[in-house]
Amino acid sequence: MKLKNYIYLLLAGTITISSCGKEFLDEQPPTALPIANAIKNESDMADAVNGMYSAMRSTLFYGRDIPVLGDELADNAYVFSSNSGRYLQEMNYTYINSNAEASNIWTQGYYAILQANRIIYAGGQLPATANSSQLRGEAYAARALCYLQLVNFYGAPFTVNPNAPGVPLVTQPSFGDAALAKPSRATVTQVYDKIISDLDSAFTLMPTSGVTGHAVNSNYIAKYAAKAIQARAYLYKGDYANAITAAKSVVDNGGYTLSTAANYVAYWASPTAQTGKLETIFELALNNATNNGTTGLDYIYAQAGYGDLLGYDALYNSYSATDVRKNLFLTTSPTKSGTVYVNNKYSNVSNANEKDDVKIIRYSEVLLTLAEAYARTGDNANAVLYANQVAQRRDPSFTGFTSTGAALANDIVNERRKELAFEGLRYFDLTRLNLPVSRPTQSRTAPIVTTLDVTSPKRILPIPQSELDANKNITQNPGY
Amino acid sequence: MKKILLFLLALSIGVSNYTFAQSRKITGKVTSADDGQPLPGVSVKLQGTNQGVLTDGDGVFSVNASTGQVLEFTYIGFTSQTVSVPSGNFPPVRLKSDTKMLTEVVVTNGYATQSKKAFTGSATTVSGAENENKPFSTPIQALQGQVAGLNISSNSGQPGANVQVRIRGVNSISLSSQPLYVIDGMIINSGDLSRLTTTSNVLAGINENDIESVTVLKDATATAIYGSRAANGVIVINTKRGKAGKTTVRFDAEGGITNNIPLPKAGRPLTADQYKELFIEGINNAAIDNPTTFNATRVASDIASYVGGARSNDWYDLLTKKGRQQQYNVSINGGSENTRVFASAGYFEQQATIVGSDLRRFTGQMNLDQTISKRFSLSTNLNFSNVDQNTPSNGGAFANPVGNVFFLRPFQLAYNDDGSLNSSRTGQTNFPGNFNSLYIVANDKKHLSQTRILGNTQLKWNIWDELRFTSYVSVDYNTLEEVQYNNPVMGDGRTAGGRGYDYYTRYFNWLTRNQLSYRYNVPGVDDFYIDATVGYEAQRSKGYLLSANTNLFPNQPSLIVSAVGATPIQGSATISNYTFDGLFSTAGINYKNRYSLSGSFRRDGSSVFGANNRYGNFYSVGGAWNIDQEDFFKIQNVLSTAKIRGSVGSVGNSSGLGNYQARPTAGYGVNYAGANGQNFNTLGNVNLTWESQIKYDLGFDLGFFKDRLSVGVDLYKNNINGLILNSPLSRTVGFTTITQNVGSMRNQGIETTIKGYPIKTKDFTWVTNFNISHNANTVTKLINNAPVVNPQNTQFRYQEGRDFYTYYTRLYAGVDPANGNALWYTDATKSATTSNYAAAARVDTKQADPKIFGGFNNTFNYKGITLTADIYYNFGNMVNDAAWGYYLKDGTAFDNNKYYYIYANRWTTPGQITDVPRYSNAGVNAGQSSNFSTRDLYYGDYIRLRNLVVGYDFKNLSVMKKYGINRLYLYGRGTNLWTKTYDKRLPFDPELGPTAVNNLDVYQVRTFTVGLNVGF
Repeated sequence: MKLKNYIYLLLAGTITISSCGKEFLDEQPPTALPIANAIKNESDMADAVNGMYSAMRSTLFYGRDIPVLGDELADNAYVFSSNSGRYLQEMNYTYINSNAEASNIWTQGYYAILQANRIIYAGGQLPATANSSQLRGEAYAARALCYLQLVNFYGAPFTVNPNAPGVPLVTQPSFGDAALAKPSRATVTQVYDKIISDLDSAFTLMPTSGVTGHAVNSNYIAKYAAKAIQARAYLYKGDYANAITAAKSVVDNGGYTLSTAANYVAYWASPTAQTGKLETIFELALNNATNNGTTGLDYIYAQAGYGDLLGYDALYNSYSATDVRKNLFLTTSPTKSGTVYVNNKYSNVSNANEKDDVKIIRYSEVLLTLAEAYARTGDNANAVLYANQVAQRRDPSFTGFTSTGAALANDIVNERRKELAFEGLRYFDLTRLNLPVSRPTQSRTAPIVTTLDVTSPKRILPIPQSELDANKNITQNPGY
Repeated sequence: MKKILLFLLALSIGVSNYTFAQSRKITGKVTSADDGQPLPGVSVKLQGTNQGVLTDGDGVFSVNASTGQVLEFTYIGFTSQTVSVPSGNFPPVRLKSDTKMLTEVVVTNGYATQSKKAFTGSATTVSGAENENKPFSTPIQALQGQVAGLNISSNSGQPGANVQVRIRGVNSISLSSQPLYVIDGMIINSGDLSRLTTTSNVLAGINENDIESVTVLKDATATAIYGSRAANGVIVINTKRGKAGKTTVRFDAEGGITNNIPLPKAGRPLTADQYKELFIEGINNAAIDNPTTFNATRVASDIASYVGGARSNDWYDLLTKKGRQQQYNVSINGGSENTRVFASAGYFEQQATIVGSDLRRFTGQMNLDQTISKRFSLSTNLNFSNVDQNTPSNGGAFANPVGNVFFLRPFQLAYNDDGSLNSSRTGQTNFPGNFNSLYIVANDKKHLSQTRILGNTQLKWNIWDELRFTSYVSVDYNTLEEVQYNNPVMGDGRTAGGRGYDYYTRYFNWLTRNQLSYRYNVPGVDDFYIDATVGYEAQRSKGYLLSANTNLFPNQPSLIVSAVGATPIQGSATISNYTFDGLFSTAGINYKNRYSLSGSFRRDGSSVFGANNRYGNFYSVGGAWNIDQEDFFKIQNVLSTAKIRGSVGSVGNSSGLGNYQARPTAGYGVNYAGANGQNFNTLGNVNLTWESQIKYDLGFDLGFFKDRLSVGVDLYKNNINGLILNSPLSRTVGFTTITQNVGSMRNQGIETTIKGYPIKTKDFTWVTNFNISHNANTVTKLINNAPVVNPQNTQFRYQEGRDFYTYYTRLYAGVDPANGNALWYTDATKSATTSNYAAAARVDTKQADPKIFGGFNNTFNYKGITLTADIYYNFGNMVNDAAWGYYLKDGTAFDNNKYYYIYANRWTTPGQITDVPRYSNAGVNAGQSSNFSTRDLYYGDYIRLRNLVVGYDFKNLSVMKKYGINRLYLYGRGTNLWTKTYDKRLPFDPELGPTAVNNLDVYQVRTFTVGLNVGF
């Protein structure tokens, strides 16, 4: 064979075998980043924080299921007799472990926690600047908020049994094999400890006035928003001394104000975020581009939407005639005959340009928390002082609370019901105080069970069956 | 069209110029010694010179030579001859066929060709000539019934519809079971690439008349060279290539009509009178069942408003029509020894019989083979096509015309009194719900324009005689322009004030391959050789998807593009890419065509797999023993061929795996408060890889009576492991499932093909091909061994030990003769019945995939008259009405028309034995009797006459000679002329695709055409 042939062979062989490099097989997705490189700087971190809020905003979580259950399981909202078929099991407490909302809140809650965990983890790798601290603080506070919601839905109230199983505490992002973890439930106490410490971390990390990208704005958790959430956590825990400290800190240093009575309805009607610390401390943003559409909270209440949920007559009647909050109800519906009480806090359902944000915590709640904590620790004067700040602002004719002690605390709880109606909080006031649910008599409801006794297993939701199927370390709540 | 013809003409002139040396002109004729037919294209060479000519279409040649010089005649498949030039007339040359050469039928897998004798695998080749001019919009449809083991079903009669193809059964639960398509060596992007169109098919751009052969690769030996993409089998399409010789021009034309395949009697919609009768009966029964709701006032007003109209119309007649069917193809083929060309142009048009459904296609093909020198040759292929398709929606869409044959009542009026189309939405004689499909067809648009360029260039370099280097590069370029417009007056666009979509989708897919092939002939022994191939291949497909959508259109029917809409809804683009690369090698040894061993190995990598498992190894080994080559075989003369072959190998399936789904990523698009947001939303799985399959095949090939009749049998078993399924996760990690390779499944079956020439005389021949296939599918491993209700098709549940497509539903027990209530068995024991649907348990029952299918194809030829009849059959499955049957039965959806079977068989009198419940809008039957149960399963068995052709081949007609015509064939054709079904209850055509569900798709058509083939 000629030498030339060998050269040819070598040449052909080289062309044949020479393969592309490994990067040839590394096709990157067009709309996503490899998870390991997703948060490399503060700007990425801000994007991830937005993603975290988006996860919380979902219909399956704060976007509808949580606020609906918070009022419907209690005595504020009922499903009308003709309805779209939603939230019927909650009306007669017939939910079992296949219940959709129990699965939604659990699944979406941990999805939001995953996003927070990822920011906390990645943010810890970045240099600590004002920006990164603010963003990491938001993630800590959001995680605490999610856990507070989960432990109250799936675990016994702290005030009833602090040693009961709470929810699994997952605090690391599920990278790689961590996704295969099968954690067991932490106790309610352990979960609360984590919530309190996360909120401390958040408060410590965040600059008072926020940062350029996240200046104090009700769409983002600010330093005193974290403290406000902590006040709620202490109140739910029955730790009134700490609740006072936290709430007082917000009142003294947060700079939040209440609306005037005259402007209160306009405040609710406005779908835009607050930048002047008026009323809203934290709310999840919804707008014309990103909203929950027909699965949103507004759509289930509004009569132009499903309009399934209405306020009990008794709730409406609890407001005095001069109470401005009475104006947040409509009293007729185009789809329902006679007088019905329609919640009108989410009135922008047909607004093509903006949508109602989902209120998570407002300044009036902090004031009422402070008042109740004072009342429960025997400081009637301060209790009345702060309770009146809310009550007299809403009803300028109101002459002020006159009761003392337990009666005053009870009055403040009733004031909370009136102030925070349809914001998803009422049920947890009843569970933390271990009170039965007594739903008012109402003529046209979906099938209803009117009382939920304190011993009923239905006071907390079932761990979803899908979780039990996949995680052998989890235990079901009693009675499911 | 004219331009294309001129172009072809110019080409044909260009390639047929020769110059000859000056000498005496010798003229002669070459014929086949076997049958005396002239042989065109025989190379006639003056020995010792470079001069030569080719015989023309009549086998005639003219060459300048002087007496005593020697002419050498060579022709593929024939023994060469030399004849010295006599002083007088040149004697007729009769070439004998070279039997050894003829057995060298080759099998090609796209990488290499092998002789049939040496081939150890299972593959079937269908010559393109068998399917030329068939009135099918994709060449794949024509293969139905032609290849054992190849199950083809069209679930839609839409021209250009995607066709469901299964080679040896369903291979996957979550991925695709469609085979890999390879055209002229290129692994193409196949299937439905559209995004707005109900159904489309990239293969609609391939003209049947440009196809030389289609090879279906089935077992490990045949497919393993395709590695991680081979598990579903491979369909290799090769286009025609130019042949040296006189340039031939061919013209084919076929035209005719498409017509309805009549609906089965059981499934005809009711006439106005029948519907009215049923409606009144239903509402009167309802008045008995629920007198509160259906009080006298309501009954009277419903009868007046729904069926009280003076006018009525027949929606089946309104929405179906005769359509046009035509195609024209022209091609040239010819060239010199060194330059050979095939070029063609074609036009195809088909209208379905339902309104708003049609397809028009232009195709062009240009294949060039150039011998550059003794060592180098170059081939290029270029295919161009444009497919224009209008496609109505399907399923329950209010605009679906097929659905509206039933969903609209005869009393809903298509036209106003003044003859204009009715677009009113109020009142029951108008359209408060479903739309007037005629108005939609007239005012809406749903159009796809699919343009495709498929081209490749291949350079062959014979480094030395035994060693060849091949370099190949190919581009598969698809663009899809989709326009959807919904008018503001009636239909899907009304609430948006009219809406328009413009989608642009482009796939740029390239592949490059370099390979070295070596063949060592062991000296001194005939047909004893070793061959080996090694190569490298890289492929990248880049998708670009642009979407625009606006709302609020003026009421101007001609202005439909999204630029007109006043409200922007969407304007975005994204990409979708994948890459593959592979190192491959094959090796074989063949001893005297008696014993053959072959093997292949491929190391395949792809971007779609998890980072930890991106590369995998695939292999096959096969062996064959040609018993007929043994000396002892010659003691008998019944059997002429006998071969045993077997193979085993590992292959993979990655078809349908998301391009990025294995990657753990944080995705953007979760925007918040007007700012960008990202979430960890794809868990991915860095270990995710292809579904693997071990294929076993054992085959026998027998030839009788000098191979007049041949029988091929294949037994196979394919064990599939690592099926990609979603394993549940603890939701506390933030995800609900992880995609893993965890399941298993098995297909096993037997295929038999009998073909040959049972009769072959001088005047009469009968060519037949009968094939029959049986496949049994069994799911063998699932997550936690738990049965799963198929999430895409809830009428099925798959579980270990059963067929993947096993129905899971309640067992219908007929009608209680006493009161007409529907009954169901409470459980699988059938020991008790209940009239409460919810109280009956769902049970696993029959299967949707056929147990037996095949074809029986015959061509008879008597003195130039040909009769071809292709029959397809399918047995052993149940087809279902799970999707929309609820509305078409009983009184529940009383405002929809019903199947005739319901009308004719409904229970009316106590004691009546029937299987159709009492018809009532209320009561115990309403709301449940039409729910999905075994009542909606029908025997899917059928036999269909797919294709019937009667033609006459004009031979030796003097007028032909005069115009240089050497072939003229006239024929008439009918498709889908006759279908035999086996269930008198069956309300629709039984050809429905793998899930066997009637989804109210465009009806299959019956065509009547006449055609003409002319050759010059």
